[in-house]
Amino acid sequence: MEKIRVLIAKPGLDGHDRGALVISQALRDHGMEVIYTGLRQSPVQIATAAIQEDVDVVGLSSLSGAHKTLFPKVVEQLKKRNAEDIPVIGGGVIPNEDIPFLLEKGIKRIFTSGSSTEEMARYIKQLVRPDEVADPPKRIDHIGIAVNRLEDTLPFYTDVLGLSVDAIEEIESEGVKIAFLKIGETRIELLEPLHEQSPIKKFLEKRGEGIHHIALEVDDIEERLAQMKRKGIQLVNEEPKEGAKQSKIAFIHPKAANGVLVELCEQTGGGDV
Amino acid sequence: MTDQHENAQSRWEKEFEDILKRFPERKDEFQTSSGIPVKRLYGQDQPDYDLGFPGQYPYLRGIQPTMYRSRLWTMRQYAGFGSAAETNKRFRYLLEQGQTGLSVAFDLPTQIGYDSDDAMSEGEVGKVGVAIDTLADMEKLLEGIPLDKVSTSMTINAPAAILLCMYIAVGEKQGVPSEKLTGTIQNDILKEYIARGTYIFPPKPSMRLITNIFAYCQEHLPKFNTISISGYHIREAGSNAVQEVAFTLANGMAYVDAAIESGLDVDAFAPRLAFFFNAHNNFFEEIAKFRAARRIWAKIMKEHYKAKNPRSWKLRFHTQTGGSTLTAQQPDNNIVRVTLQALAAVLGGTQSLHTNSRDEALALPTEESARIALRTQQIIAHESGVADTVDPLGGSYYVEALTDEIEEKVMDYLERIKEYGGAVQAIEEGFMQREIQQNAYETQKRIENGEEIIVGLNRFTVEEDVNPELLKVDEALGKAQIENLERIRAERNNEEVKEKLDILRKHAQNPEKNLIPAILDAVKAYASVGEICNVLRDEFGEYTGS
Repeated sequence: MEKIRVLIAKPGLDGHDRGALVISQALRDHGMEVIYTGLRQSPVQIATAAIQEDVDVVGLSSLSGAHKTLFPKVVEQLKKRNAEDIPVIGGGVIPNEDIPFLLEKGIKRIFTSGSSTEEMARYIKQLVRPDEVADPPKRIDHIGIAVNRLEDTLPFYTDVLGLSVDAIEEIESEGVKIAFLKIGETRIELLEPLHEQSPIKKFLEKRGEGIHHIALEVDDIEERLAQMKRKGIQLVNEEPKEGAKQSKIAFIHPKAANGVLVELCEQTGGGDV
Repeated sequence: MTDQHENAQSRWEKEFEDILKRFPERKDEFQTSSGIPVKRLYGQDQPDYDLGFPGQYPYLRGIQPTMYRSRLWTMRQYAGFGSAAETNKRFRYLLEQGQTGLSVAFDLPTQIGYDSDDAMSEGEVGKVGVAIDTLADMEKLLEGIPLDKVSTSMTINAPAAILLCMYIAVGEKQGVPSEKLTGTIQNDILKEYIARGTYIFPPKPSMRLITNIFAYCQEHLPKFNTISISGYHIREAGSNAVQEVAFTLANGMAYVDAAIESGLDVDAFAPRLAFFFNAHNNFFEEIAKFRAARRIWAKIMKEHYKAKNPRSWKLRFHTQTGGSTLTAQQPDNNIVRVTLQALAAVLGGTQSLHTNSRDEALALPTEESARIALRTQQIIAHESGVADTVDPLGGSYYVEALTDEIEEKVMDYLERIKEYGGAVQAIEEGFMQREIQQNAYETQKRIENGEEIIVGLNRFTVEEDVNPELLKVDEALGKAQIENLERIRAERNNEEVKEKLDILRKHAQNPEKNLIPAILDAVKAYASVGEICNVLRDEFGEYTGS
């Protein structure tokens, strides 16, 4: 697969290019080809460079307050050269109240102060190659096992296998009581139904005790769900919901994975805060 | 270190070993922003320090014997936006509020030598500072402000000579002779190539303009600071504290070399050199940084350049709190950051100070935010008591150890820059730019992986809709400014303008000529910043970046 090509440009007279330089380096580290124009580029120069360099996306940076004049001019100049298919994104010191105006003028997205380079890289990948499989899931977050009673099952894991219980939590909303057992980089979660309406109860009645689901840790769960939806993958949750331990989770329908219930989860908390 | 101390310390270490097991430290290793390891405790194992005295070489403890007990630092808030008339109003407001000096921000077209009607100026007129095209704008900017009483700092570099001449001309009209004018022009082109970006001409003619200013001011503006050698922007571009000092002092040496080479005596110009540093978050490192810079510069001037006048040895500096440390998230937290940074600058012995406003990660400050920033300085000056003794942290084991370490690391950098053949060559080969860029990138990574905590950004965040009242620069201003310029062009004596610009061109062609008198004549004829710069662009060429 060819590398994504990005033009990072400084329109106008602004000389603050710390952000532009840091972003250029970060995007290179994400495997993209980055061309940085240097300072004081006119919209015409930027549009010409974007076409000559055959880039997939143009990133504009301005901290001088000239964004409302200059960003739309770059979009116009691209259009004039029949290159309006090259998306333009922007960042810098840009008040929130200016963002709707810029979006209306055809800038695809504005990243303001404090945005992370990870977020930008992900956005660009998504924007340029929406159907390319995003980074594969990072690891197996946990394996969920449905049990009738925790106290009957736990001794096998603790006494026989020698694992230790991290925590036991009751999650009222899901009607489930969970024992977490850490094993290397992942966990085993034993799931006991709290009441008759619990989905675990229904699973046990239908299939008996055993492996209930596998959870995979991903980045940007929303994007990934949207991508699956576009590809016609059947989902249990089209929007992520709140999971245990400061995470966002969503289930993929077992029909999509030949009978395996797959959970996606994204850690949202800052670790042990 | 005495045996008694050694025994006491080893007893203490033994005692806390058990405690350490139960309460492990937060990190395996603590470091300052410049990567200096921070020890658990600084104490008896430190060498005995010879701190010297304030007002005496090498000025570790301050450049004056009494420091703030005699006179507080100058509270100088950088301001400027829109038209000259609007900025004049803000200046008068700040002076009424107790500010003690002016600091002018110019818009980017003025800083890069374009008139407001130049195609390059589109969208930028009056945005980050005041738009100045001709002397007429400068007259409006300073209307009602007595130039014999107020000192003015101007953040202007490539066209510094032009704005300085405009200031002289306004002074003349007010009846203030140039000898009485006080203030500072930034006039530091080298850091523009490194970090700030408002260069026009290549290094060689730029250095000529700078030494021309040194020579002219020595004779005609003896109380004016002819340059403000700036680490501020180097730090904002992403350097650490050590790099900030090292690259600034290296630039300072390049100016001294150039001036000596042009035939000036070191003691004739060195007393008018001023410096400008940043105040960032790492409190003690920042204090140590200012103290180290002072001591290194004194040694350089005395030992390397053999300056005889003690005033040549003194590093006088302005400080501004760190713009890049401010967050757009929970902007009121910025008031607290600014307070700590300002306190570090004061404890480091600054001569003047600008405190940033809480909303500067979002836009230019509103009047209310600018007032809080000024009040922050006034509270430090009048309520905290820190100004009541000289160098209150002098002799602190930690601060003195940091001061020494910073000095050592700065000297290493100065050595490396010397190997390049000096600052100008190091810049042309991109050395400083690469060092800064690398540090900026690593800082960003540390913030993104949570190693470096920024409150409200990567920890302790809240859902918020940041939409405070922001200062808006009138979009119609550019048009009004252009009309203004057209009117001046119609009203002035264009024959005279042409004649003065022709003389300037001839002088520019002769490297022996000092350009300031010709620029002053052109300015008085109402030639514009763009017209004057275009003559010089023709003769000198333009710098296109590295």
